[in-house]
Amino acid sequence: MNTRSLVTKSLWACCLTTLLGWTAASAADLVVWHAYRGAERAAFEKVVSNFNASQGDIKVKTLPVPYDAYADKITAAIPRGRGPDVFIFAQDRLGGWVEGGQTVESIDFYLEDGTVDALLPGLMEAMSYRDTVYGLPIAYKSPALVYNKAMIETPPTTTTELVTMAKKFTAAAGGRYGLVYEYSNFYFHSALMNAFGGRVFDPEGPTPTLDDPRIVASINLMMKWFREDGIVPADPSSTLVTALFNDGKTPMVFNGPWFISEVEGVDVGVAAMPTVEEAGGEPMKPWLTVEGIYVSAQSDHKEAAYEFARYVATDDESAFIRAVEGRQLPSHAGVYERPEVAGDPILSGFRAQYNNSVPMPNYAEMTLMWSPVTTAMNKITKGAASPEAGLGAAQKELEASIAALRTGR
Amino acid sequence: MSIVAGSSAYLEGDTEVQTGVAGFLLHPVAQGVALAAALALVLGAWFVGQARTEILTDHWNREVIQELMGLAESAAAIEAADKGRSEELLGVMLTRLPGTEGRDAGYRVLRLSGARLLASTASGDVGDMAAPRRLSREEKWLFDLGQGIRASVQTNRDEGIYRRRQVEVDEVGDSLFRISLPYFVDDKVAGIVQAELRRPDTTSSASLPLTVGMGIGAYLVTLLVLAIAGKERREKDVAFHKPWVLFFAAVAILSVVAYAYGRIELGGVERLYRSAAAELAADLLEIKESVGFLAGEAGVTVSPGEDNRWDVDLYQRPIGVIDGSGQIVNAGLEAQTAVIRDQLGRALRLNWIAGLVVVLFFGLGFARRLRRTVREHKYAYVYVMPAMIGMLLLAFFPFGYGILLSFTSQTVLTVSEPITELLVGFQNYINILGDFDLFQKTAEGAVINYQNFYWTLYITVCWTIFNVTVGVTLGVILALVLNTKGLKYTNIYRVLLILPWAIPNYITALIWKGMFHQQFGVINQAIQMFGGAPIAWFDGVFSSFMTGLITNGWLSFPFMMVITLGALQSIPADLYEAATIDGADRWQQFRHVTLPSLKPTLIPAIIISVVWTFNMFNVIYLVSGGEPAGANEILITKSYKIAFEEYRYGYAAAYSVVIFFILVFYGIFQTKMTRATEAANA
Repeated sequence: MNTRSLVTKSLWACCLTTLLGWTAASAADLVVWHAYRGAERAAFEKVVSNFNASQGDIKVKTLPVPYDAYADKITAAIPRGRGPDVFIFAQDRLGGWVEGGQTVESIDFYLEDGTVDALLPGLMEAMSYRDTVYGLPIAYKSPALVYNKAMIETPPTTTTELVTMAKKFTAAAGGRYGLVYEYSNFYFHSALMNAFGGRVFDPEGPTPTLDDPRIVASINLMMKWFREDGIVPADPSSTLVTALFNDGKTPMVFNGPWFISEVEGVDVGVAAMPTVEEAGGEPMKPWLTVEGIYVSAQSDHKEAAYEFARYVATDDESAFIRAVEGRQLPSHAGVYERPEVAGDPILSGFRAQYNNSVPMPNYAEMTLMWSPVTTAMNKITKGAASPEAGLGAAQKELEASIAALRTGR
Repeated sequence: MSIVAGSSAYLEGDTEVQTGVAGFLLHPVAQGVALAAALALVLGAWFVGQARTEILTDHWNREVIQELMGLAESAAAIEAADKGRSEELLGVMLTRLPGTEGRDAGYRVLRLSGARLLASTASGDVGDMAAPRRLSREEKWLFDLGQGIRASVQTNRDEGIYRRRQVEVDEVGDSLFRISLPYFVDDKVAGIVQAELRRPDTTSSASLPLTVGMGIGAYLVTLLVLAIAGKERREKDVAFHKPWVLFFAAVAILSVVAYAYGRIELGGVERLYRSAAAELAADLLEIKESVGFLAGEAGVTVSPGEDNRWDVDLYQRPIGVIDGSGQIVNAGLEAQTAVIRDQLGRALRLNWIAGLVVVLFFGLGFARRLRRTVREHKYAYVYVMPAMIGMLLLAFFPFGYGILLSFTSQTVLTVSEPITELLVGFQNYINILGDFDLFQKTAEGAVINYQNFYWTLYITVCWTIFNVTVGVTLGVILALVLNTKGLKYTNIYRVLLILPWAIPNYITALIWKGMFHQQFGVINQAIQMFGGAPIAWFDGVFSSFMTGLITNGWLSFPFMMVITLGALQSIPADLYEAATIDGADRWQQFRHVTLPSLKPTLIPAIIISVVWTFNMFNVIYLVSGGEPAGANEILITKSYKIAFEEYRYGYAAAYSVVIFFILVFYGIFQTKMTRATEAANA
């Protein structure tokens, strides 16, 4: 074959494939972004291919994005029209995106009662901002009581039991502690705070209530565990928690599903956090991170995007695959009754914790909160300030930041 | 460069100067005044046109809004009174609204709960699609509009400030506008009412004859002045003397023209506003009557009230210019005209300044120099043009935008607003540089406020000085060691010693952070092994500073070492021989031979190192994070926190500009110093 006929043949081939490609193009081609890795990613891609196979109008392609830059990519790309049609993210940035505008599309118009009923109650709140629904929840995660089954047979159900059990295992000289968790990280402390009834923001609107006496009471309890009972170590960082748990130096940690993948060589069990007797028997309620699937405001196929989102959130098989293969905790209510899921100790342990959890606020002002409370927690745990003083300072700083944000100065 | 030099060029017989009548007409001063006047007047005309158009547009908007507010109150009253019949009653009311006649208008009333279109006279809603009905899938935009308005009302109420529009005005086609506003039942937004209608052309411009006339007048007056000034020199046909007098005359002419124009046009604008207000007042009476009547037919009573609740701005706040009985409220009118006067006055003043700049440009000889250099170096400019354009777009434009941003108060909440509405002048800089709140009184006595700019500056300067000193010292020492004659395996040592620089400093910082852990970190373990007490590194200001210093010292010495090694190897050996012969010992050799030879290389390296270290974000952010409580932050980490954790973009931009100026001054200062010392040495 000479060059000329080769060139002609390949040109024809190109034309034909393009033509075929055009005719094969579906009514809507969607792009979905996510930051999953490993098992979660494999499970999600299986869900997507199931969706593509189940109908012929909508074709979905996934694009995994590295987590570090993910949120900033969404903030930068979508308003300029360079983003996906659908994306998956936690609820903490929702407020900021809605205020900034042109990023997420409100979906109340499409939402039907059937969809809402299929999901676990209380999750839609996390996906709403100012009473408008912006996304469908597809999974959730929160810290729970993760324990070493070899060291503890039955996990404690009250804080008194917790302290007694922990004291048995504590030998500070040998680096052994009964309970290890990042207590100086406000995210983990929120469980105790919510048990006492304290809240970072007023439920009505983004007014900070950091100096609430209930939050002070929760910190006093935590400090009691640290100072008097001595069951938690000083300076807890996430690497320390993992290291001590894996070395068998601690039987109990408060941590979330992301921690399970870091556990090595330990027979791990998950249970709900204990109830706090000092708070009148209220259970510890950790903050819930709700992963939602959102429709981009710049998408050209919003209805199709919503159809896909609804499939991921409410389809039985999709939830099952994500639970069993992706090791996620789906928002689908019915999947927890399937034997494979109900019988899985880790999944059902975190599911039990869900009943006692509070969605993390999704206000735009939430990011302003972390710096003052981290400073306060550090000062309090080092003994440099009393809980009242520390929280009082944090409250003032947060109020000033919010005021500065509102007036722009 | 001075006006004297510029004009004296004429005296020297500059070949470019045209003589005769053309020279007279194109005299630089005349050119300057003509261009300056043209600029000021054209810009002025544009601003005045904008202001007039805005007044007329606003007037039209308010007419429609008045009617819609009446309709909204009626809808609210009807819904509150008898929900079952509201669709029927509203349907009748809409068809008889006065605005419908001859204005090609369509009205809609939407109830949010259930997405129900209660009544509609819009063109598309006939036959199958006639109201009342639920919104169809394609009408999601209408539902979202309602939801958006509801959310805006809620936001404004929650935050106590008016930052989101409660009345939406959208252009949906060729002069077709859609205005929507909420109606309230039980003090909550229950739905929206909307009007879709054509707006007549409301563009208005400044008077063209006046603009052109004033421009030509300025030019002619300048020529007159030139003629008078140059009378004595006329026979020589060279430069017209008295350059300073000409310059001030030019400035005076320009200012008079700008001022006169401003006064005349401002007067016109004010008159326009007043007449619009009078029209609106008459309009209100009509609307009050007709809407009141229609509402009465539907069984409810509505009224704008004494303070005229129906004449509102886009945040639904009463404007207060017309009261409920159609009378003009003088105080309100004065307030509004004062606002317009201030804005337009400010714009016109800026024009005057722009004109002055042009006059200066010509008068101080810049124009002539520019013309000369472009003519002489035409090809050079063409060669440089691509690079100049590239730099303009990629470097100068973002830089300029950052500076513009620093003059605004933009935050995440105002990101979608046009930037010109957020300008606050130097407020950000005043807040940063004027923050002298260094000491705070607390229960424990006077405590340093670590969030203060000057404290952060102090830490940054200390950080830079100590780091560069440590880096340079270590680098020079190691370079001298490596440079020893006869040292074996120098290559291996060199590679090992460069490793700190080769590993990404992000990773290094995180590893060092782990090493400084109080209980399980390697450093404390080592200290304990030697019998000392473990240090809580991140608890104290000084120890936390040391963590950063140690980490960055480890990171920065390879760079200095490599630079010094290179410089050392280029020092000729006979200098050392000569020194040894003269009887100098090692230390004296170092001081008098090595150091001076290293200086030309080290000084630029130090300048670079200072700039890098001043902005060394990674080490501070990742190792100590500014602990304790932000006491160890440097300016750049502070700026990052303000931008990306507090979302205050304008303020953070101002911070960055301050950092930039500090470094620029340092660079200039350092260069001058080294030139001085080099000159002294040479």
